[in-house]
Formats: sequence, structure tokens, C-alpha cells
Amino acid sequence: MSFTLIMKAVEESGLSVWIRDSPSIFAYWFILSFHALGMGMAVGASVVIDFRILGIARDLPLSPLKGLYRIIWAGFWVQVVSGILLLIAYPTKALTNPDFYIKLTLIGIAIAVMKMIQNRVFSDSSLTEPAMMLKGRSLAVWSLVLWLGVVTAGRLLAYTFTYINYSG
Amino acid sequence: MYSAHYHLLLNHWPIIGTFIGLALFLVSLSANKDDLKQASLGLFSFIALLAIPAYMSGNAAQEFFRETPKVSMDLIQTHQGAALLALVFLEITGAIALIGLWEFSRAGKKSEAGRPAGWIVASVLLFSIVTSVLMAITGNTGGEIRHPEIIVSNEAPSSVGAAGAKVVPFVQYYVVEYSNWIWPILEDLHFIGLILILGAIGVLNLRILGFLKQLPVAPLHRFIPWGIAGVFINVITGILFFIGMPPFYADNPDFQLKMVAIVIAGTNLLLFYCTSAFRPLARLGPGDDAPLSAKFVAASSLLLWIAIVFLGRYIPSFEVYHH
Repeated sequence: MSFTLIMKAVEESGLSVWIRDSPSIFAYWFILSFHALGMGMAVGASVVIDFRILGIARDLPLSPLKGLYRIIWAGFWVQVVSGILLLIAYPTKALTNPDFYIKLTLIGIAIAVMKMIQNRVFSDSSLTEPAMMLKGRSLAVWSLVLWLGVVTAGRLLAYTFTYINYSG
Repeated sequence: MYSAHYHLLLNHWPIIGTFIGLALFLVSLSANKDDLKQASLGLFSFIALLAIPAYMSGNAAQEFFRETPKVSMDLIQTHQGAALLALVFLEITGAIALIGLWEFSRAGKKSEAGRPAGWIVASVLLFSIVTSVLMAITGNTGGEIRHPEIIVSNEAPSSVGAAGAKVVPFVQYYVVEYSNWIWPILEDLHFIGLILILGAIGVLNLRILGFLKQLPVAPLHRFIPWGIAGVFINVITGILFFIGMPPFYADNPDFQLKMVAIVIAGTNLLLFYCTSAFRPLARLGPGDDAPLSAKFVAASSLLLWIAIVFLGRYIPSFEVYHH
């Protein structure tokens, strides 16, 4: 009961109305574009790390790739900010869709796996490259599978919602 | 200039380009000349890019002819079907050719250049021959629309033409009507392609610009075929979206701008990342700084691909003004 009232209040707020209905090119579609760019940064950089751990481009030194984590985190924060703004625009649409919770769960696990790769593979400078690859192998496979799940769940949000806003 | 003008402006290049590309490729193989091989592979990739707006602008031209009683819609549909088959085979030819071209851009050991593998040469040859035949049919059926003097009256209707007329509605049915899941799956693939492009091409560009300087350039350049795969996935899924709902895209100015940006970004990819022009960069080791000209190219490539993402996300916003 109170949950639906919160959704209603958010939806009627000035910011929500502006993102949804403003004819400005910096409203909804601009935020949505940043959400796609942030995905490209976070997932794109993760995929490069995962591919290298799995043996693609073997002559690429593995340890300097930890610099890619800066891109992953920058992309992650772009996603947090743009995602929250999109949620403010359409709270009912997202929160009444089970797919939204699947997406959030998969993001949590995917980020945890990337942290585990960072801690286990990149933080131990005593490891040789073959040892790093061996240690990171199953984590890299999981990372690819989870990111695929995140992107798919995210994309399906546009097709699986039941209510677009509070009034129906 | 109206959308229909674009079709006249663009439609001859893919046909003539395929013939010239195939002739050049055959000469380069018999003379075993690497320069000619590079030129023909580059030409195939470039016209594969140009063919995308060439095909799509045909819908605008078709809309115009709907009100012209002397023009046969059957002929247009046959032409469109042949054009779609030619387009798909040209995109496959172009993608394989681009990977073959990329092999030339690798600085091998002892400064010996890389060369495309045998299977790449064989597949480019095979697919470009099929594409040439389909392009000839596309050109001929396209010509018949406005030049009835070339129609042979008692000629049996072409079986490829008859099949061609069924191709577009067939694809449209499977993309839009057959299941509610096909479109979202194609969208998902389109985003996976986006990730491959930004991951492979974006990270290399960041290195050239001076971020991640500890990384040598040559091994990062090995990810380029993954970027090419991303472009190919997105071209194919993009063509399927277009066939599924042509009125949604054909006259959309945002979509038209996206197609222009794709031709420019793709040309940038093929010229600077997939030819021997990249070899000096491939020699940059850990800590080495790239020349300013290379940074300029890398910045333009990065901005173009990001602009394409933005233009893509804005496509539905222009629908409002149409309906």
C-alpha cells in the first residue's frame, strides 16, 4: 500500500515529469543514451579482461590490464546515475516487473565477480601470467555469462512491463 | 534534396564497386600483388558500408512510385528482393574482406607484414562472385522499373526475381509477426554488438590517446576482429529491424544521420586500423607515446562510435513527429 503511494509520489514529482515529458533533447533520450554508453564502458572493458584471461591476445601483458578497472568503475557510476534517473521517470514500469529485480541481482553478482577477479588475479603481484590465467579462468567465464544476462535482462525491460505508470 | 534522391545518388556504387572489386581481386591473386589485394579488400569493405544506405533509400523511392500508375509495384518488389540478397552477400563479403585487410595492418616479426589466411582469400572470392551475380540481377531489375525498353517481352520471368519478390515479406513476417520474442532477441544481439565495438575499438583508442599507456599497442590491435564482428552483427540485425518496420526508419532524420555516421566510422576503421597505415602504431611498446595525428584519428573514431550509440538511442524519439 505505502509502496504504491511512494511510486505515485515519485511519478508526480517535477523531475520525473520533466524526464518523461520534456521536449528537450537533454531529457529521457539523453539519459537513455548515457545508459547505453555506460554499459559499453563497464561491460566492454570487462569483456576485454575476460577474453585476455581466457587466452585471447596472449601477447598482451595481463597485469597492466588492471588499468581497465578505472573504465569499468567509471561506466558503473554512469549506470548508477542514469539508471536512477530512468527509475525516477518510470518507477511503476520498472518496480512492477520481475525482470527488473532479476537484472539488479545479476548486476550485483557480475560486479562481485569482477571484484573477485581484481582481488585474486590482479592484486597478487607474485603470480606469473599462466598462474593468473589459471586462477581467473572460471571467474572470467562466469563474468561473461553474467554480463550477457545483465544486458539481456536490461533489454527485455522494454518488452516485458505490465504497467507503464501508476494510473495504468 | 528528398529521401528518394539518396537512392539515385547511392545505388550505382555497390553494383559497380562489386564488379571492380572482384576484377581487382582476381588480378591481385594471379599477379600475387599485396597492394592490389589490399585495394580490392578495402574496396569490398567500403562498398559494403555504402550499400547499407543505398538499400534503405530504396524504400523512400518506392513510396514515391506508389502514386505513379505507370510504374509496376511487382517490378519494384522483385528489385527489392534481389537487392536484399545482394546486400546480405555483400555484407558477408565486406566483413571477411575487412578481417583479411586487418591481417595486412599487423606488424609481424622482423618487420615482416602479416598476410590474410588462405580461408579468408577463398571465402572472399566465393562470396564476391555470388554477390556479383546478385548485383547484376539487382541492377537489371532496378533498371526495368524506369526503363521498360530493356525488358524482353517474351522472356521467361527470372526465377531469382520471383524468389526475390518473396524475400522481403518473408523476412518481415519472421522479424515482426511470427513471435513477440524475435524483435527483443535481435535488440539484445544489437547491444552485444555495441559492446564488442566499444570494447575492442574503444579500448585501443584509449591506449592510443595515452590512457593505459603501460599496454603495448600491437596485442590490443588483435581485438580488432572482435570489433569487426560487432559491426557485422549490428549491420545484419540493423537491416532486419529496417525490413521489419521500414516506415519507422526510412524518413527518420536521426536514423539517416546514424547511417551517415556509420559509413564514416566504418571508413575510419578500415583505413586507419585495418591497413598498413596502422603498422607504425603497432610497434609502440609499453610507455610509448603515439604521434599527434594518430591521437586525432583515435579521438575521432571514439567520438564517432559514441555518436552512433546516441543517434541509435534517439531513433524512437523522432517517431513522435511522424504519427
